[in-house]
Amino acid sequence: MDIHIHDVTKSFGKQIAIDRVSFTIHSGEICCLLGPSGSGKTTLIRLMIGALKADEGTVQLGETFMPNMKMLQTIGFMPQNDGLYDDLSAEANLEFFGSIYKLGKTKLQARITDVLALVELTDDRKKLVRHFSGGMKKRLSLAIAILHQPDFLFLDEPTVGIDPLLRRQIWGQFQAIRATGTTIIVSTHVMDEVQECDRAALIYNGRLIAYDTIPHLLGQTDNGRVEELFLIAGRAGGTSHA
Amino acid sequence: MRNLATRVIFQTLNDKRSVALILIAPLLILTLVYFLLGDSDYVPVVAVDENVPSQLLEAFEAETLDVRLDAVANPFDYLADHKDVDAVFEVTQAGTTITLREPSTKSSKAVREIQAALSILNPTPDVEMNYVFGEEGQSTFDSFGYVFLSLFSFFFVFILSAMALVKERSGGTLERLLMTPIKRGQIILGYTLGYGVFAVVQSILIVLYTVYVLGLSSLGNIGWVMLTMLLMAGTAVLFGATISVFARSELQVVQMIPFTIVPQVFFSGLIPLDLIPYGLGNLSYIMPIFYGATAIKEVMVYGNGFTGVWPYFLGLVIYASVLYFLNMRALGKYRGH
Repeated sequence: MDIHIHDVTKSFGKQIAIDRVSFTIHSGEICCLLGPSGSGKTTLIRLMIGALKADEGTVQLGETFMPNMKMLQTIGFMPQNDGLYDDLSAEANLEFFGSIYKLGKTKLQARITDVLALVELTDDRKKLVRHFSGGMKKRLSLAIAILHQPDFLFLDEPTVGIDPLLRRQIWGQFQAIRATGTTIIVSTHVMDEVQECDRAALIYNGRLIAYDTIPHLLGQTDNGRVEELFLIAGRAGGTSHA
Repeated sequence: MRNLATRVIFQTLNDKRSVALILIAPLLILTLVYFLLGDSDYVPVVAVDENVPSQLLEAFEAETLDVRLDAVANPFDYLADHKDVDAVFEVTQAGTTITLREPSTKSSKAVREIQAALSILNPTPDVEMNYVFGEEGQSTFDSFGYVFLSLFSFFFVFILSAMALVKERSGGTLERLLMTPIKRGQIILGYTLGYGVFAVVQSILIVLYTVYVLGLSSLGNIGWVMLTMLLMAGTAVLFGATISVFARSELQVVQMIPFTIVPQVFFSGLIPLDLIPYGLGNLSYIMPIFYGATAIKEVMVYGNGFTGVWPYFLGLVIYASVLYFLNMRALGKYRGH
């Protein structure tokens, strides 16, 4: 199922957070929402998952217009600040979120084993989360987001504050999840991470300044660095050309 | 809903301080209140001027007073020089004078004892005092202990729930939770149910401790008191959840306590509402602790059952319903509704 974002605008008071953005994320791809802090990446994710309603325009997950409660079963979401219960063990966190999706006891236990193996936390499953390192928390947060095998996985700045080695490891895990057919939408302000994606949407001041495959995007620059596209957009005032 | 309640229970159990806050702190503070407001064995110190007739001196010594016979030239200077003395008694040509250090409970007790001594010399008609509820000379703890039951059942659960929900908001767990198919009502009721389990234990513990250990008497069935406290705790969970909407951190919850909880203490029944000027006593009707305290008073002081408590139960249920509705609205914002 593709994600269709059509002429979406969202304001908070007088501030326009998303300004007439349109593009389509293709099923089974990793789409990177790239932009500096405060550019509107998180707002765009929140519009896609239905946490916000667009002032104008529409967001569709497949054929369904968002926000829609029924679609939450098909969405996996990893918030920026982990969203974990520190006073529970990794396993208890997974069991709690898993129980909401009504996976059934046997299937839930099997999934917990699978996702813990994927994020390499099997040996730490009984540990309280408050004793976890930052990287372990990120990986557990990812495990929760994919526990119910969602069609769409939204990751809001998943690699913020973690070292390059762990970042590489986590991107490896994203690729493994994508291989199962899940469409992944990742927001990031780390320009290098764009290389890991199939397509990237470049967001600047709430506007979409470019959306294309990575080779095509880099082909538009002189030095092969994606930052240049932001500099060009900055000089032009951030026009939208989806 | 049940899975959320179970999570709240396990999460709270894993945080020993929270368990102590909800179960141990009320007992500790009630014990302190018992000693602070209970019977006092303090004996007021009264300086009696040398010129006082010996018959009067004997009457003074017969009362619960520490009498000091001394030459008092000026009672003000005398009290300034003798910090341990509460009152000075003199008989001069102008008449009888009692000079007290300051208006205080100690002074009141000294005056009561002095007047008792004087009445022996000048017998007045014997007046018998009767009370419909309670008895003469009961301690402040006996008179107002019930207020603390209501106050504590509300305050500690409120703190815990408000803090937990602020943490849910700031830590991203609430956002994540609302991106699952869980219904908003299930979240609110799950929380209420989870803390409700602790509230059951808390109310049983507090009531039994207060009645059987601290000796606070109850004319009515203490089951009604427990039920009131349970309703109070439920309302406190919802009250805490509502307050958490306006707080970005645990610190901000603490900053809101003077605005949300402290006024409730004064309108809970500690001060008779009729004595509060400008009709401000009516403000109590928007304060949940008032409903709880009055219901508990109906049971413990007046000996009533359901007929006495139902209007206050109804008040609490309406209050809780309004808070439930407000929380539903607040959670709706996470889902673009």
